[in-house]
Amino acid sequence: MGFKRKKGDGEGEEMESEVRGRPSFNTAERRNVILPSMIKNKDKRAKVYAKQKHEKKVEKQKKIKARDAAEKQALELGEEPPQKMVPKTIENTREADETVCRPDDEELFADIDADEFNPVLRREVTPKVLITTCRFNSTRGPAFISELQSVIPNSDYRKRGTYDLKKIVEYAKKKDYTSLIVVHTNRREPDALLIIGLPNGPTAHFKLSNLVLRKDIKNHGNPTSHEPELVLNNFTTRLGNRVGRFFQSLFPQEPNFRGRRVVTFHNQRDFIFFRHHRYIFDVKEDKQSGAKGKDAVAKQRVKPRLQECGPSFTLKLVTLQHGTFDTKGGEFEWVHKPEMDTSRRRFFL
Amino acid sequence: MPRVISNETYGCPPIRALTFDSLGLIKVTEARGKERGTPIVVNTWGEPNASRCVLAASMDDRLSNPLLAVARKDGNVEVRNPCNGDLHFAYSVFGDDGSPPEDDDEISGLHLFRKQKDDHTERSCTLLTFMKKGDVSLRTVQFPDARDDSTDDAAPPKSWKACASGELLVGKVDGTENFGLFGGKRVEVNIWDLEQCTKIWSAKSPPKDNLGIFTPTWFTCAAFMSNDDHRKFVTGTKSHQVRLYDVSAQRRPVLSFDFHETAITAITEDPDGHTIYVGNASADLASFDIRTGKLLGNFLGKCSGSIRSVVRHPQHQVIASCGLDRYLRVYDVKTRQLISAVFLKQHLTGLVFDSGFSGEEIAVANTEVDAETEETMEQEGDEEENEDETEEEAPVKKKKSKKEKRSREKVSEGEEIDEVRSKKKTRDHKKKTKKVKHIQQD
Repeated sequence: MGFKRKKGDGEGEEMESEVRGRPSFNTAERRNVILPSMIKNKDKRAKVYAKQKHEKKVEKQKKIKARDAAEKQALELGEEPPQKMVPKTIENTREADETVCRPDDEELFADIDADEFNPVLRREVTPKVLITTCRFNSTRGPAFISELQSVIPNSDYRKRGTYDLKKIVEYAKKKDYTSLIVVHTNRREPDALLIIGLPNGPTAHFKLSNLVLRKDIKNHGNPTSHEPELVLNNFTTRLGNRVGRFFQSLFPQEPNFRGRRVVTFHNQRDFIFFRHHRYIFDVKEDKQSGAKGKDAVAKQRVKPRLQECGPSFTLKLVTLQHGTFDTKGGEFEWVHKPEMDTSRRRFFL
Repeated sequence: MPRVISNETYGCPPIRALTFDSLGLIKVTEARGKERGTPIVVNTWGEPNASRCVLAASMDDRLSNPLLAVARKDGNVEVRNPCNGDLHFAYSVFGDDGSPPEDDDEISGLHLFRKQKDDHTERSCTLLTFMKKGDVSLRTVQFPDARDDSTDDAAPPKSWKACASGELLVGKVDGTENFGLFGGKRVEVNIWDLEQCTKIWSAKSPPKDNLGIFTPTWFTCAAFMSNDDHRKFVTGTKSHQVRLYDVSAQRRPVLSFDFHETAITAITEDPDGHTIYVGNASADLASFDIRTGKLLGNFLGKCSGSIRSVVRHPQHQVIASCGLDRYLRVYDVKTRQLISAVFLKQHLTGLVFDSGFSGEEIAVANTEVDAETEETMEQEGDEEENEDETEEEAPVKKKKSKKEKRSREKVSEGEEIDEVRSKKKTRDHKKKTKKVKHIQQD
């Protein structure tokens, strides 16, 4: 009885609708179709199913061939090739979000001017970051922290001891730090990242996963101490904009392009992927190979090459609090609630 | 134009809400029409400026001459006309020089009185403002009049200090406007008689619990339970507790219960006297029956930011909430469903309903405004407020040539939609100078 809904081609649909058990309009056809799951004999069943799969595969290959042939023919004839079909992805079909930042929004710019990161982003204050951990440190923790220190320029590490986080915030404020990062570990693995903007900036709590340290990356590069360039991808909504600026405020605002070092925060489906690369532009000679062998013109193409260095991990925003860290009394600007996950195509960042 | 999300089953009853945000903008959201339309933002007043962040607001939405008082972060208190945003009057609580005496002191709240004390009713209003450091000031201001040039207040402002130490965060005036309630961080709730400026009652904190832990007092919001009884009120605390106090019974709270785990940020009462709506810092909004302390239900509306303000419409069965997630949400009271949500782009700090709005579909009437009042904080002598015409006729269609220039407004569409009442409720709108109510349109 249970059958998987097959994303069939147009031809298969007719068969499917019968198979679904709906009052069929064509009883003659119904009798001909036998589902493999209705056959009790395993041997026979396997054979029928394999045959069905093979038929489907052949069908699909025929379609692809026909499509390619049509395109080639159209190109040869000089006509326009038939339009390429674009597959629907979740990003394509994302629910339209009205909080997306628009370029013509004056209130957005005013809000940006007034928010907490503005002094840093306007280069009035240089960012100074304090990194610490939760109370119990772990196996991978120190390695991760030392890598973070190499990624973020102008950062210091202090051992946690048993200080209250609120006291640490005050200490950092006194010493003029602009942000505080707390790496939280769980089961001997770094698990969450708490980034607190100072003096009274927002607090973002991220869930950290999929951490790969530098030593585990094949052919990794070694980061230098030049200021990195920042790439922030896909932070479109207002909330995303705020988080993006938060990340921006961790790094100094004068990237050293000669250092060829880039740090990327790529947001996709509410997961933020952190990568750290060094890049280099290669000039390659590209001999045009093909039918016209005699006039091979050597074209020069510039190709960038990337070498990954430093840690790579993914973050997911759990909560964004309005002031500094204060669980009991703090106000949340954004908190994830299960009732918000009603649609697979709805994202917040 | 910000878009809205609306639930298809319910439409929104005709409401008009004014929201205040952290950049000092005042936005007017209306839902018009008998057929239950969706709310849309019709107007935005003000220029975005973070130092003019609105900290508190209060509205007197009577039918004639409604007033809206707005308190801002830079110490200015403005009295405006809620129909078109025009500034009637503004003054600074920090004195005439306008600079705060110490850093940190800011207005915690204000209340605009509804009853009139003097005979020049149309030109004056009474405001109660209280500051974080504890100064409470009760002041009658007169609108400047074009006719006489003297602009002195009727009486010097009465002021007193409501708390010696700690911060004053909560203040409410009861329905009869004789009593005021103040409380805050390390300040127990007090009730003051506003005529004599004396404290008549103060609360006592609940005893230590059995572990010996004493939670420090920190009240974040309060509401009187009913309009004619000043004795019962509910408060919300920073330690996620809702407390009901009865002045005539005892000094300790009569009933107290916990609500989730974050600070309670907004609380309001229902006109039926026994239901309250509570919103907290992690975006939960719920209604409780205060007689028993039982939770009636949660309002699920995918709210994700701390709720700064909850108001219940006095006539319709709707409740609206606004908060740090930049949305204004309207819910139905009986079914607790979200009716609609309007995206308002900034962190919202306050919300009031304009209950004199009937939302009928009428022809667009453009008001003719004589422009000069630009955005200055000084008192302009141009406005004539005492033209108190009452219109008894049915909605009169007015169409005049539009001569716009509103002070400090960014009129999003080109037109001004004026609400004109039907026969029963009449309300006139303060129009500048030329009154053309009887001019029929061409």
